[in-house]
Amino acid sequence: MLSISGLFFSYKDTNILENIDIKLHKGKILSVVGPNGTGKTTLLKCIAGIMKPEKGTIRINDKDASRMKRIELARCISYVPQSAPSKFPLNVFDAVLMGRRPHITWKPSKKDLNMVAEIIKSMGLEDIALRDFDQLSGGQKQKVLLARAVAQDADYLLLDEPTSNLDLKHQMEVMKMVSGMVQGNGAAAILAMHDLNLASRFSDTIMMLNSGKIFCHGDPRQVITVKNIKSVYGVEAKIYMNDSHPYIMPN
Amino acid sequence: MEGNDDICKKYKGLSGKKFSFIILLLVVLFFISLIALSQGASSLGFKDSFIALFKHTGLAHAIIWKLRLPRIVMAMLVGCGLAIAGTIFQAILKNPLASPYTLGIASSAGFGAVTAIIFGGSFHSEYLIAGTAFFFALLSSFLILGIAKFRGSSPETMILAGIAIMFFFSSLSSLFQYMGTLEKVHEIVFWFFGSLSKIGWKEIGIVSLMVFLTIPVLLRWSWDFNLLAAGDDSAKALGVNVTKIRMFGIIFASLITAASISFTGVIGFIGLVAPHIARMVVGGDHWFLVPASGLIGTILVLAADTLGRTLWAPQVIPIGIVTSFIGVPFFFYLLIKRKRGYW
Amino acid sequence: MKRYIAWTFYLTLFICLLISRKGASREKKEANCIRVKDATGRIVEVRQPVKRLAVLTSDALEIIRAVKAGDLVVGVYSDISKDPLFWTGLTHKPKIGSWKELNYELVAELDPDIVICYAQRPGRDMEKRIDPFGIKTIRLDFFKLNNLEKEVEALGRILKKEKEASQLIAWYRKNLDFIREKLKVTNKSPSVYIEGDSNYHTTGLGSGGHDMCVFAGGANIAADLSIPYPEVTPEWILMKNPCVILKITTLSTCNACYSMINAAPLKAIRNKIMARPAWDNISAVKEGKVYVMANEIWTGPRAIIGISYIAKWLHPDIFEELDPRGLHKEYIKKFQGIEYKGFYVYPGSN
Repeated sequence: MLSISGLFFSYKDTNILENIDIKLHKGKILSVVGPNGTGKTTLLKCIAGIMKPEKGTIRINDKDASRMKRIELARCISYVPQSAPSKFPLNVFDAVLMGRRPHITWKPSKKDLNMVAEIIKSMGLEDIALRDFDQLSGGQKQKVLLARAVAQDADYLLLDEPTSNLDLKHQMEVMKMVSGMVQGNGAAAILAMHDLNLASRFSDTIMMLNSGKIFCHGDPRQVITVKNIKSVYGVEAKIYMNDSHPYIMPN
Repeated sequence: MEGNDDICKKYKGLSGKKFSFIILLLVVLFFISLIALSQGASSLGFKDSFIALFKHTGLAHAIIWKLRLPRIVMAMLVGCGLAIAGTIFQAILKNPLASPYTLGIASSAGFGAVTAIIFGGSFHSEYLIAGTAFFFALLSSFLILGIAKFRGSSPETMILAGIAIMFFFSSLSSLFQYMGTLEKVHEIVFWFFGSLSKIGWKEIGIVSLMVFLTIPVLLRWSWDFNLLAAGDDSAKALGVNVTKIRMFGIIFASLITAASISFTGVIGFIGLVAPHIARMVVGGDHWFLVPASGLIGTILVLAADTLGRTLWAPQVIPIGIVTSFIGVPFFFYLLIKRKRGYW
Repeated sequence: MKRYIAWTFYLTLFICLLISRKGASREKKEANCIRVKDATGRIVEVRQPVKRLAVLTSDALEIIRAVKAGDLVVGVYSDISKDPLFWTGLTHKPKIGSWKELNYELVAELDPDIVICYAQRPGRDMEKRIDPFGIKTIRLDFFKLNNLEKEVEALGRILKKEKEASQLIAWYRKNLDFIREKLKVTNKSPSVYIEGDSNYHTTGLGSGGHDMCVFAGGANIAADLSIPYPEVTPEWILMKNPCVILKITTLSTCNACYSMINAAPLKAIRNKIMARPAWDNISAVKEGKVYVMANEIWTGPRAIIGISYIAKWLHPDIFEELDPRGLHKEYIKKFQGIEYKGFYVYPGSN
């Protein structure tokens, strides 16, 4: 279980995150939503150990994250940033293999190579396995980064805007991959999302942030409401229900 | 499972190709060093040179062991060291322009040499020059690290700091040169040209210690260097201690640079061009890139020195000049022929 | 009317007088201009008399003192303070620049009649900049053996020290002729490797050092090389197997050999050369014929001293009675007017 309590983060006297509490069980997907600049990315970076929170504790499988070495942390948590690196001079296989880094010292073993090959195959990347990462399309890059996160073999996946800049088909593919990973491997995922409809459809719970504070947290049906959208985003919208997931249509 | 094997096989095939490129470089290096060993002012021919290598044949033995071999070994060491240092700088700073020169390390080493030449007085000696050059080379890299500590170790900060340091020390060198007498100005100019004539086994000992102690560490970190390209955040999330890697990477690369150029003077361009040539062929994986780039540097400097001392014999064309003459056209050729987006 | 005529007459007379005076003065001025050929081969007009001298090079300053014109010097080069004992009485003069650069404002303020500098440095710009102030640039090298006499003579004429100049020239000629005559009895010319301050940088054809070596009856092993100051490989020197190795040094000593109290720095340089890898196979090293010589007596006004030393080292049998140190003492005392001091060569300082 990943549990976060009383997390604070501030930058130059401005509070970015205030008093964040999260409990995430294995096999669940949590989406963090909220307007731009509300602290979603910062929250993910704090959990991944990239930024140091000011206050609060993060416990991963009942271990205090602040006492874990970076490499130990990397074996428990994988993080996929919002934007793919603009220049990454490796081929797809190497890029996915990078995910094995926390488990390897000198050179990857045969087991590592096999594992990477399997992930590449299962994610349908065989055809581009030896192509240079820089030559891929945005959707392909996102998939490769996801594959890297899978290769990292961590319990918790942190994905920052995994569907931004993707077309509809790739959005669906990526989201299905994520839920497949969570269900199949017994992992859990935290997603920072802009697309409320995707979040609603694929998440078990949604956390809505407003100015660094938790506005509301719970089942998608409790969070995606006309009132909440109005007060957090300042947008009038209608909610439609389909297959017990709320979908939002702004007026 | 069959599909897996297929992908693995292809991947291993690719790695094999890169590996065989390194073997090819070793073979080329072997032949070039044979040629280098047999070339010289004395009438020792190809065969005699090799007999003298293993047999005590008086003068010939002395020529091979005391004059030719130190020169060849030093050329190789310096080429290897500067190329590897350049590779590391480029990885750490994520900048294709990074090299011992862009970071001001070469120019501050040069400033050290100039100071020793101008103010050395009666203590003036090659060791004093090398010592001060080494000291200033390290000083500038610590300056960069200090700035990085204050302002964060982002590649942009470091490159900007490096360029500022470069200009500062070259101006200081120019100032001291300007103050110098005719003879001293000559000496300074000669130092900046670079020279391998003054090398003995003692100097080789010092430089090889630096180069060979750091190479295993850098290879051990090759994965981390790869990850730096993915961005600091991704690298951190994959367990890389980015600050540490950047700091020690800079320190090691500076140590190699300082040791290499303090005895031989400024050998231009290798630190910039060798990593790029290697990258165009083997790609961005530092596990292959570091050795390939080191070998290319070794070959280029050795070839340059051999040409420099035979083309116009017995006059020696300074190594720094020939290196650029060989490196630049080759680099252009690859730049035009390169596969797209290698960097 | 008469009055008018008278007035006109007086006025005309006055004007004529004025004009004639002016003309006369101009004539006088022209008469006082001498024309000399400088080191670049150009003819320069110098107005006489020259009372105030600014000097940018130590070579020129030494010759000026040798022709007893030291008291005319009003401005000197900045490095002079590094050798205060030798340049006694001159070090406190205003510093106006170095051999390669002149400070135009300082020199305009100092207002000397002429500035003496090398043929090539500072650049041609200098004439353009200081001519408008009525300051003449005289370019004289004093470091080329073949031109030394001509240049001394030119300087003598400029400074109206023709007598002193011819004394110096006579002294040069006497000693050079002595060596030239003595060398006629032999057709041996031992091979010499000459090295400058930078290790393995020698002096080829077209350098002052080469001329000195040849004059002293030596064969420069680098005589065929096309670059004046090339770097060569140790192996090539080893193959040429020179009989004598000559190292010229400026840096390794304390800038000024005149104030040196022992020959240890020179000795250290020699030991290092003898210990170079594989050089124990060179005949010069085997026989101990490795000599270190200070730049002071190398190319320059004292080249004759250097030549005497080299000649004696190369042909000890012929020049048994030649005493280069005595010659140096004589020169310092007679032409520089100071006491002989310091160490200039090793071995053989004493």
